[in-house]
Amino acid sequence: MRFQPPRPKNDEERILPLINVVFLLLIFFMLAGRLAASDPFRIEPPRSTSEGLVEPQETLVLLGADGRLALDGEMLDEAALKAAVAARMASEAPPRVRLKADGHAEATRVVAVMELLRTAGVERLKLLTVPDIR
Amino acid sequence: MSPHVSVLPRRSLANRPPRRRPLISLTPLIDVVFILLIFFMLASSFLDWRSIALNAPARATAGSSVEGAFLVELRPDGLRLAGESLSLDQLTARIGERLAQRPEQRVLVKPTAGVALQEAVSVLDRLIATGVTDLSLTRDPAR
Repeated sequence: MRFQPPRPKNDEERILPLINVVFLLLIFFMLAGRLAASDPFRIEPPRSTSEGLVEPQETLVLLGADGRLALDGEMLDEAALKAAVAARMASEAPPRVRLKADGHAEATRVVAVMELLRTAGVERLKLLTVPDIR
Repeated sequence: MSPHVSVLPRRSLANRPPRRRPLISLTPLIDVVFILLIFFMLASSFLDWRSIALNAPARATAGSSVEGAFLVELRPDGLRLAGESLSLDQLTARIGERLAQRPEQRVLVKPTAGVALQEAVSVLDRLIATGVTDLSLTRDPAR
């Protein structure tokens, strides 16, 4: 007895396995990844063992390694950031604030930004981290 | 191959219904699927975000907020608690003792210039693991 795989009849049947694999990959990336707006500058978040969860609806303040600031993906200077956050905190439902800062940024600079947010009316905030993989 | 087997393909060819060309060619479909695949590969992020809840520090640190709080100073060359150099293990042991008596003990972490956020976060991690709930970052009011 000889079991020989049937020869593909034409080009289209030859690429059917390829299409199957590509569809699988497509569905994997659609389901497993999370679509998110990219940051205006590169941020390497600090690694931490913390387990706190993050709700994506919260206001996001970004702080780059070189001290650049952004609010929800829009680059701002300190005064503009303070005004924008204060306007949001004065609204009917004050948003909670997440701070995404680079792990290589000066800690004193991060604290300065936190103080700035405090003067804008933010009482509690969340510092974003990623789990330590090592 | 044996002779009676060699007859089979011809017969099956004869029995097969005439092959129709598919109405829609597969090639455009593959193009679109590839484009979608590349879009989702590039646009989706797999980072697993976590967070540390902190109290935002008040600018005027001289006041009731500092009263009775542990002030941990974070220098490039080590940790200091009330002017005394400590290792991280000594610090957590001492704060753990204090938390046993006062569970809501407030702890302030004050990084000085030259300390990266990553180091401060490592110290915060250890403090949270010790059980500190009222945690805040602060800095020198002079600077």
